[in-house]
Amino acid sequence: MSILQYFAKRIGLYLVVLFIGITVTFFLPRLMPTNPIDGYIGQLQSRAGQTLTQEATAELRSSLEELYGLKGDILTQYFNYLKRVFLQFDFGPSFNSYPQPVSTMIFGALPWTLGLLLTTTLLSWLLGNLIGLVAGYFHNKRSATVLEVIGILLYPIPYYILALTVILVLAYFIPIFPLAPTFPNSGFSFEQVGGILYNSALPAITLVLAGFGWNILSMKSLAYTTKEEPYVIYARLKGTSNWTRMTRYVFRNAMLPQVTALVLSLGTVFNGALLTEILFSYPGIGLLMRTAASSGDYNLLYGAITMSIIAVATAGLVIDLIYPLFDPRIRYR
Amino acid sequence: MIRLNNVVASYKTERGTVNAVDGVNLEIPDGCILGIAGESGCGKSTLMKVIYGDIGFPLSLASGSVDYGFTDDQGNKVTSKNIQKQWFKRISYVPQSSMSSLNPVIRIRKQFLDFESSSKTKAQTLQEVKSYVKKLGLPEESIESFPHQLSGGMRQRIMIAMATFFQPEIILADEPTTALDVVVQKSILLLLMELQEQMGNTIILVSHDMGVHYQATHKMLIMYAAKAVEYADSPDLFTRPLHPYTRMLINSLPTIGDDRAREGIPGRPPSLWNKLEGCRFADRCPLATERCRTEEPAFIEHRPGHFAACHYADSQANLSEVV
Repeated sequence: MSILQYFAKRIGLYLVVLFIGITVTFFLPRLMPTNPIDGYIGQLQSRAGQTLTQEATAELRSSLEELYGLKGDILTQYFNYLKRVFLQFDFGPSFNSYPQPVSTMIFGALPWTLGLLLTTTLLSWLLGNLIGLVAGYFHNKRSATVLEVIGILLYPIPYYILALTVILVLAYFIPIFPLAPTFPNSGFSFEQVGGILYNSALPAITLVLAGFGWNILSMKSLAYTTKEEPYVIYARLKGTSNWTRMTRYVFRNAMLPQVTALVLSLGTVFNGALLTEILFSYPGIGLLMRTAASSGDYNLLYGAITMSIIAVATAGLVIDLIYPLFDPRIRYR
Repeated sequence: MIRLNNVVASYKTERGTVNAVDGVNLEIPDGCILGIAGESGCGKSTLMKVIYGDIGFPLSLASGSVDYGFTDDQGNKVTSKNIQKQWFKRISYVPQSSMSSLNPVIRIRKQFLDFESSSKTKAQTLQEVKSYVKKLGLPEESIESFPHQLSGGMRQRIMIAMATFFQPEIILADEPTTALDVVVQKSILLLLMELQEQMGNTIILVSHDMGVHYQATHKMLIMYAAKAVEYADSPDLFTRPLHPYTRMLINSLPTIGDDRAREGIPGRPPSLWNKLEGCRFADRCPLATERCRTEEPAFIEHRPGHFAACHYADSQANLSEVV
């Protein structure tokens, strides 16, 4: 199979996954017995008392249905929905911040979440794997065992406890970082970079610490078993240096499953963002999702959920596309 | 000449220590192919490790020494304590499974040179590697490929190329052909023999295939339960063995025109954990007497250059009647 065929196959699969995911998000809420427009009109009626006429209600209902894509039978709705999502990435206006379109809100929050989560996930992967590699490669040295203990200590701590501890220590007892971070409302500009970094430091530290432990532990055991592989033993008998064996032999092989784990965890950044963004009132997708869910903002919720479907599917695609770079057994079959 | 002086190598385990090689004395002349044979657990691989100087926990050299008969750059005598610095320069090793002994994600070219530390430039060495590989019957491009792209036979040739590239004095080959089919086996053996003839180095070949030994070796060492039991020039050993164990091993070889059923040697070697008295082969030996069970036979020269550890090596009974 040529490399082009391989890519074409992966991309085809990617589109199918996206399509199925978006279809499920379309049908699932429509299977619910409640109708958001009934709820909304009910609210209005109870607030306005008897002043709303039958005609006004009917008119309101029809314009709301138009607005939220609920006009016509379910198939028409479905095709309209697909057209809007795939071609224009349009989820309609937000309920709560009417008439702001959902896509604008999502694209406003996206860089924040991506910036924070991508950086910290990569950083904790890198640090965790380096520490794990040393701990696994020199597993019989006492100093290396100390490194492993870092992982064992950090890994089981629930994230919210870790986050609260970091807030308490670094913002309250030793006030290095701001207790309540403030972020500019407008997008990025170069003057604000320093401030953004300073304000993002606390969530970043907790995310790195939280991701760290798992990477140390898994890399440690991977490096430990890879070290016993015949090709590493043979390399030792060839007289290769410890450094070459640790990097070129053990790490190059042990990192393969770790790359998969990294990309998979990148796919779930939006879910991971939820707790962090709430705890640190960080203006990303997670916070958006939470507001949408608690205030019944359906359009915004669909948008955010679709975003995370895209993220997970894209991560899967990225694994398939970059894996051949690291493993020649896939590149040349 | 490689000299093994009363080598005792033991493994530390939770049950205590066990001697996997128990007092082996040997003089291996330069420029010969020595075959080591014996059944699993007889200590042949451990002896190889000791000769290679790969001694680390749980293996330790309880007593004795290995003297390689050459000196290092500083003029010090090379023994099993400092042979490690000579790895792949003056002593090299061909592993059993070429399949898993090459790093699957690195090009072979890089694996060829990553232990190299000579003053030559990389490009020049690479050119030499290429022409050397070609000499061994491999396409030059094969060093640019990844291990999984080569066949089993090609990979084993690559292993042999790596092991012989620096023209070491000693090459250890631990079952170099076991994982290959018979046709490839033969070509690999012939390659090893050819290279040995050209370079005049010493090859120590471990195999439990007596056919391989018969084909390839100049000298043979037979081991049984951590002891050397017979050591001689191969033709002599195969035609006039002195130890009943050797005789039974050779008799298990099929020969053309002889279609009698081949019989194995009944019984099992003794556990090295037990306290062993007398000859270790006594329980399975058809000639064993009371003396064999109580008195350990010495490993002595019965004919010029032909050593054996058997009380009855010279007796008529041994030479004619057994099996």
